[in-house]
Amino acid sequence: MNLETFENRVLPTKNKLFRFAFRLMGSTEEAKDIVQEVMIKVWNGREQMAEVQNMEAWCMRITKNLSLDRLRSKQRRVTDPIEQGMEIKNETLTPHERTEIHENMQRLNEMIAALPEKQRQVIHLRDIEGYSYNEICDILELDMNQVKVNLFRARNTVREKFVKINAYGL
Amino acid sequence: MDSKHIESLLEKYWNCETTLEEEQQLREFFKSEVPESMKDVAEVFRYFNAQQKQQLSIHNFDSSITKKIQQDKPKGKVVQLVTNYSRIAAGLLVVVAATYFVRLEVRKAYPPEIADTYSDPKLALEETKKALLMISNGFNRAQKEASKIKVFNEAEEKIQGKSLEEVETKI
Repeated sequence: MNLETFENRVLPTKNKLFRFAFRLMGSTEEAKDIVQEVMIKVWNGREQMAEVQNMEAWCMRITKNLSLDRLRSKQRRVTDPIEQGMEIKNETLTPHERTEIHENMQRLNEMIAALPEKQRQVIHLRDIEGYSYNEICDILELDMNQVKVNLFRARNTVREKFVKINAYGL
Repeated sequence: MDSKHIESLLEKYWNCETTLEEEQQLREFFKSEVPESMKDVAEVFRYFNAQQKQQLSIHNFDSSITKKIQQDKPKGKVVQLVTNYSRIAAGLLVVVAATYFVRLEVRKAYPPEIADTYSDPKLALEETKKALLMISNGFNRAQKEASKIKVFNEAEEKIQGKSLEEVETKI
């Protein structure tokens, strides 16, 4: 892999990597750190990656592994929901959206952050990033069955805790 | 879009039976105004959309990374200092050194027998004579010195003799 391929195929994944790392770590600073580390790692290992077809899935997998390594070495749990709420407020929404949706966003954030690790990973990759099941298997190193079971449970939790409760007027 | 269609899609969605395209349809649908009954579901999809917009906010990220990786010069080829051959060589060296020292010790413990020092028999005879003469001189001298010990013997005898006489006279 030369510099040009790196710039065209690896660097553009940075936002996805960042979001995924952020979902796992729950901290912007650490997610930023991890994205930089992944970039350097990919570049240093570029020779082994000659045969890798899906560069993006490969980068996502490295991101996952690095994040989990860090989490385990620190032995601490994700996440700070308040910080996540701030993120959305500050960076991603227009002022109108902010006032309207802020509260629900925060609840959903907390809900997803409270999911078991694998469910959180799968629902993020599928419903936020829009990856195919095959790609998710590739990234998470799981088989199809596990991916689907985890996604089913994650979606059901969201449905039961958010949609149904709200539907009955709380 | 037909709300019946959406409802059936949603049901499929909760059961994880939707394709990516169908999920995209749902996302698009929930971006606009939706009926009251679907408001909560809409929130979920809006949340997903909003999350997808989140970006890495590092100034000049791309250029700083390319700069960094260009600075990283390829590390030189790693040379293995200890090759398999040198391991074998080291083993042999230890064996050789060990045998050398063991031999040294053995030689100290069992010195070799005295070897011939002269090739000419006459010269050897002369040397032997000289050596024997030296030894006999030594003996002679020692004998002379030893004869002095006799003085003590005589003295002792005299003392003993005297004391016997004294005893006899007293009696």
